Amino acid sequence: MAISKKKILRYLLALFIIFSLNFIIPRIMPGDPLTNLLGEEFSLSEAALQELRSELGLDSPLMLQYIKYWKNIFLFDLGYSYHFNQKVIPLITGRMKWTLVLLLPSIIFGAILGTILGALSGWKKNALPNKTITWTFLTIYSSPPYFLGIILLYIFSFKWGLFPFKGFYETGTLSDIIQHLFLPVLIMSAFSASRNYMIMRGSVLIEKEKLYVVYARAKGLYKEAILFRHIFKNAILPVLTLVALDFGFLFSGALFVEIVFSMNGMGTLIYEALLSRDYPVLQGCFLIITLMVIGANLFSDVLNGIIDPRVRERQ
Amino acid sequence: MKSRTFWNRSGLILVAFFVFVAIFADLIAPHSPWERFEPYTKPSTKHWLGTNDIGNDILSELIHGSRASLIVGVGASAIATLLGLFIGLISGYFKGFADELLMGVTDIFLMIPRIPLLIILAAFLKSSFWIIMLALGLLWWTSTARVVRSRTLQVREMDFVTSSKCLGFKNRHIILSDILPNIFPVALPKFMLTVATAMISEASLSFLGLGDPSMKSWGLMINFAFIKGGLINEMWWWYLPPGICIVLFVFSIVLLGFSFEEEKKVAIK
Amino acid sequence: MTLLEIKNLKVTFESSLGKVKAVEDISFKLMAGETLALVGETGSGKSTIAHSIMNILPPNAAVKGKILFRNQDLLQMSEKELSQIRGKEISLIMQNPALALNPVFSIGHQMTEPLVIHESLKKSKAILQAQDLLKRLHFKGPGVAIKSYPFEMSGGMKQRILIGISVILNPKVIIADEPTKGLDSRLKTMVLEELKLVKEMEHSSMLFISHDLHPAREISDQIAVLYAGEILESGLTVDFFKEPLHPYSKGLLESLPEKGFKPIPGTPPSMIHPPEGCKFHPRCPYKKEICTRKMPDKVTIKGRDVKCVLYN
Repeated sequence: MAISKKKILRYLLALFIIFSLNFIIPRIMPGDPLTNLLGEEFSLSEAALQELRSELGLDSPLMLQYIKYWKNIFLFDLGYSYHFNQKVIPLITGRMKWTLVLLLPSIIFGAILGTILGALSGWKKNALPNKTITWTFLTIYSSPPYFLGIILLYIFSFKWGLFPFKGFYETGTLSDIIQHLFLPVLIMSAFSASRNYMIMRGSVLIEKEKLYVVYARAKGLYKEAILFRHIFKNAILPVLTLVALDFGFLFSGALFVEIVFSMNGMGTLIYEALLSRDYPVLQGCFLIITLMVIGANLFSDVLNGIIDPRVRERQ
Repeated sequence: MKSRTFWNRSGLILVAFFVFVAIFADLIAPHSPWERFEPYTKPSTKHWLGTNDIGNDILSELIHGSRASLIVGVGASAIATLLGLFIGLISGYFKGFADELLMGVTDIFLMIPRIPLLIILAAFLKSSFWIIMLALGLLWWTSTARVVRSRTLQVREMDFVTSSKCLGFKNRHIILSDILPNIFPVALPKFMLTVATAMISEASLSFLGLGDPSMKSWGLMINFAFIKGGLINEMWWWYLPPGICIVLFVFSIVLLGFSFEEEKKVAIK
Repeated sequence: MTLLEIKNLKVTFESSLGKVKAVEDISFKLMAGETLALVGETGSGKSTIAHSIMNILPPNAAVKGKILFRNQDLLQMSEKELSQIRGKEISLIMQNPALALNPVFSIGHQMTEPLVIHESLKKSKAILQAQDLLKRLHFKGPGVAIKSYPFEMSGGMKQRILIGISVILNPKVIIADEPTKGLDSRLKTMVLEELKLVKEMEHSSMLFISHDLHPAREISDQIAVLYAGEILESGLTVDFFKEPLHPYSKGLLESLPEKGFKPIPGTPPSMIHPPEGCKFHPRCPYKKEICTRKMPDKVTIKGRDVKCVLYN
């Protein structure tokens, strides 16, 4: 089994705790819990409010509320948004696919680009293109992703008009979608690549000094062959862990890029919800994102187990 | 060899420069960032970077912004590093149940989507500067804790620790005087990198409008530029400088952080 | 027939503490089918010599001299030419099997690698050969071992696997770098048996490097004693153990448990600031005034080469 029961239990525990956190937060925040649960954009009469209060169970003891909360989660009911006039779940799932369309290709491109360039960079430490690439990635690493977005948007969309600067409300033809997605995916990929690059490069630098590399040479293995056989498989292990841990970080970055490019994903959803203090949507997004982050961690563990035989042994 | 000290030195110079500007902002800035002039002006000799939508001098805003970004970054990182040190040391030194428990907690914290949580917290509470700093610190200690723990595990096996134990020194004393100094070279680069992350996170939150308006951080400047039409009206002098400052500052800290790590690696060899 | 000839090898390393003079002026010959033991204390330059022959020294090393293999200077060859020789004609059994094996590749993969690369053998055929070799190296379940990973093997097993990988192409010269280091006596015996076996298989020559005199005595025909980067004495093993000539050699034999366990006074010298004159003189009971000034030249007595004024 590629992943141990102990790890799965840990993930479930994390899920449980974070979801419970989500339950607690609106109830300990200052202000009327009703507002905290429903958002600040609704107005009803006093009697209707009272009815709503008892319906939501705000009158009943905390434990009952907690149980009701979990019941709702299992029924896939995350509440209702007064601002958007929709149930939260369909609202989020509708938007989520656009975020994933941005995120997933970026993670893949970023992983491939960053890993390969980082490995080459670590192997040939002093070549000139190496230094330029390293400095470029370092700069990207240091920038808030939305800032890069703003700059590129300005240059490519406003000035040169190469790419459109709004989401994709137009027709769904493939070339249309690609045109709209090109810049955002470029930025997210660069962002993800910069992180992978740093780690991979460092990893290769460490592995390069190890004895099995010298021994490989002693066996008569030629230069390039050595790298891509022996070092790569070892060096890539920390990168895999990083990609998972980073998923949350990359996801957040994607949210900002969406806002800059006015794309129709979770980022703009959160932004709007934020502006109107629509707490149910905000909390719903938090839960869904948590699920995705935990899922990504799980995936990376499984991948790790497949590639590194030592990990399999330990479980 | 040469490139390493070069990185180190240039990083140090840049960081020192920013710190200097932050401390002496009042003296350096031509005007107070709150003073109002004619809004939306282009860069001129009177206002080198023009003015924003309510007429504040952008250059003065920029200079004062360094303070906000710096304080939040360093403050949050200090909280995070202290917390990480504490947890890592206890976990690594005492091992056993404490270790399992603390590492479990760390794992869980690692999986919390931080920016979304911060958004929710900031949405509920009024965006105050201290709250942001505290929240950032309370969420970002995890990688420091991990690194401190693994180093503690190494150090505690070393002979001078065993001899301290044999001499009957109390645990607390051993941790503080034997182990802690050896953790330092590992904790310092982590501290720097956490400052970098905290600054970017603060800039991100401010960009969403969740920053503290009483402290005009760089992120908040970009936010205002974005929502008050700075982008559409091609007012690059408004949104570019704060962004560039963020990038430069984080870049220099990252340089320093990485160069410390390189030195540590060589020292261990 | 001389297979390998080292001529005036000199190796220095650049370090942050100064220049490390690892190997001073080494010359020796290795004949076909012969086993030469290179003995010396830790830090005397033994591994450096081994790595020089394989030309796998780190970049901060400066090498002078000639290393002739079949009359070609290995030090002048290109990386490509060298890769044809390494593993195939001359192979190295490294000092630390745990670290020399790649943790993420299976034993089978690592053992068949030389076959696949040097002889373009198909993987399936190579695996059969590898299994056969493992069987000859006394592995009870070669099929299982092929699929296993290094971390699943014990220290002794890893050592034997390393031996296997290094001889699978039947090299003419096998360099064994401290193969019995850190092993208990039972494993030591076993490893020596394996090495003897392996030598017999293809009548290879062997360069046996060790700080331990016992295995050196057991396995070698010729012996050379290394101290602070210089060969102080060399000759037939049998004669050497009967009657060592150099004071250091005498000291070494006297320090053996069965001869009295008498240690040589003093400590090995720093390789960055070695002593003037004869490198051994600070610890030598027979030292003369001239020893502090000049390293003695090599003299040949009774078929043995010695570098000591006592024999001039």
